[in-house]
Amino acid sequence: MRVLLIEDDAMIAQGLQTALRQGGFAVDWMQDGKSAGAALQGSAFDVVLLDLGLPDRDGIDVLRDLRRRRDATPVIILTARDEIQQRIAGLDAGADDYIVKPFDLDEVTARMRSVLRRAAGRGDPSIEYGELRLDPAARTVERNKIPVAVSAHEFAVLEALLQRPGAVLSRAQLEDRLYGWDEPIGSNAIEVYIHGLRRKLGSDAIRTLRGVGYFVPK
Amino acid sequence: MRSIRARLLIALIVMVALISLLAAGVTYRRVLSETSTLFDYQLRQMALSLRGQISLAPRIEVPPDQGDADFVVQIWDVFGARTYVSRPGLPMINQTVLGYADLSLQGEAWRAYGLQTADGVIQIAQPARVRENLARAAAARVVVPLILLLPIMVGAVAWIVRSGLKPLRFVTTEVQRRDVRSLAPLGTKNLPLEIAPLVGELNRLLDRLQRAFFTQRAFISDAAHELRSPLTALRLQLQLLDRAPDETARLEARSRLGAAVERAIHLVEQLLALARSEPQESAAEFQLVDISAAAAEGVQDTHDLAMSRGIDLGLDAVPQLQIRGDREGLRTLARNLIDNAVRYTPANGSVQVRTRSAANDALLEVIDNGPGIAAADRERVFDRFYRRAAAQETGTGLGLAIVRAIAERHGARVLLGEAPGGGLHVMVSFPSALLRLP
Repeated sequence: MRVLLIEDDAMIAQGLQTALRQGGFAVDWMQDGKSAGAALQGSAFDVVLLDLGLPDRDGIDVLRDLRRRRDATPVIILTARDEIQQRIAGLDAGADDYIVKPFDLDEVTARMRSVLRRAAGRGDPSIEYGELRLDPAARTVERNKIPVAVSAHEFAVLEALLQRPGAVLSRAQLEDRLYGWDEPIGSNAIEVYIHGLRRKLGSDAIRTLRGVGYFVPK
Repeated sequence: MRSIRARLLIALIVMVALISLLAAGVTYRRVLSETSTLFDYQLRQMALSLRGQISLAPRIEVPPDQGDADFVVQIWDVFGARTYVSRPGLPMINQTVLGYADLSLQGEAWRAYGLQTADGVIQIAQPARVRENLARAAAARVVVPLILLLPIMVGAVAWIVRSGLKPLRFVTTEVQRRDVRSLAPLGTKNLPLEIAPLVGELNRLLDRLQRAFFTQRAFISDAAHELRSPLTALRLQLQLLDRAPDETARLEARSRLGAAVERAIHLVEQLLALARSEPQESAAEFQLVDISAAAAEGVQDTHDLAMSRGIDLGLDAVPQLQIRGDREGLRTLARNLIDNAVRYTPANGSVQVRTRSAANDALLEVIDNGPGIAAADRERVFDRFYRRAAAQETGTGLGLAIVRAIAERHGARVLLGEAPGGGLHVMVSFPSALLRLP
């Protein structure tokens, strides 16, 4: 899951980045509205965490620009503005959720999962596929109701593939979902995770379309 | 007496009563004298009307003693013999006086008029008592309504005073309705000239109060809002510390938590400094402060930060540049200016602090070779919580607001300019009025 964090406060941004990466999210951090707008136009994100009090322009304007482009990327506003009118304005401008600072980390990640779930058109928080069952909140995988231990990165790869069974994701696309721009990526990291998943879930669980990428059969 | 109303009422009622009584007294006397003149005229007319009949007098058949007749008519012939008396039973006046006369008969006063004719003398007399009684009755008829009017006039006075003071009561209830939540100006429509200036001044005071209250409330709201960021960082780092997967992560989270605490403390200190720098203390509490010493203290306070950033921090001060001021405030001012310069100057830059006197003003200058502040931004940087775009430093946004507040308390000006190298040149100019007299 790739997250764009738009937050001008370096201390908060750093903390959130650390926490989200520990949770298996790939985080990109933008400190002002201008570069955030550019990032949103340049690449695709699964979810955006948006602070409103940006130094150069208001976060609401960044959000409006995004929605004007008919970009439906889920956006969660993280802000110190706590008045009802401000919450309404934020939600009406196109935000999917609104969290007031100081927030609780677990609440932020729970709301991110909820927003992602809704974006994927699912009501059930867990993803079921054949004999596999993924719980994005607990970040656990079960096979035939037996828990399987997977690393955070392995989980992220599996989650990305299971979101659209049958669709082929290239190595670059998977890397995109797993790493922020400033994170170092090992040259064969994705292969390592796929290998690990096949070892744990059975070699048939993830198929390779040679030269294109990976997919889980429909 | 404190009450305008009571004073007006008493003064006006006493005056109305005195004037009424005086008027009644004067009228009474006037009516008495007018009536007396009228009675005299009556006596004379009576005498004149009898003139032609005097020769017939002995033959006039007048029934004796017409009980209630006031007048006594006597006629004497040319020989001095009385030929007629209208009321024979009475003891008679035996005097013949021509013209008006006040006579006395057996202790009773009479008014008489004697008329000389060719055939004799006609005298008409009337008891003074009757005249007086009639005159008094006439005077009383005129005066009594005047006295009866007195309560009505008192009522009218009371009403006039009451309605005259109505605008005051209106202003009172209007003011009573005001509290900190509703400091709207009082209505000034249809106010009398005497009260309009008072209400005008009140409105100006209300306006100032409202502004001050609004500023305070905005400050508290801003402060609470600004506290959210360091508190968010604190909670975040605490949670990261809790869930740190290994010792390295825990150590890092711990040090970041420490930084977040420092940041929250710094913000609270700056908020307090700003609250203290509000111009509430009077200049009377100022003492002699050496600006150069304050600058030196500011340099000492920021020395560590400058060292850690490799910034060349220097002080060039004239000794004993004394002004009257607030020692702690001036130290805070210097520290904030130097701290700002050190924070916004890139590593290995230079920050120079200077004090001097020029044209009787004491100057404190801080010159850096950082990025400077664009002319368009130079006014806004003094706003509370204003942070420039793309600033890497997480300052509180209060430093320059504090500087300005302290400067204003001292009547000093803060000028932002461009240093020769493109950096920022801050000059605080303390007016000569604060300078110690040599």
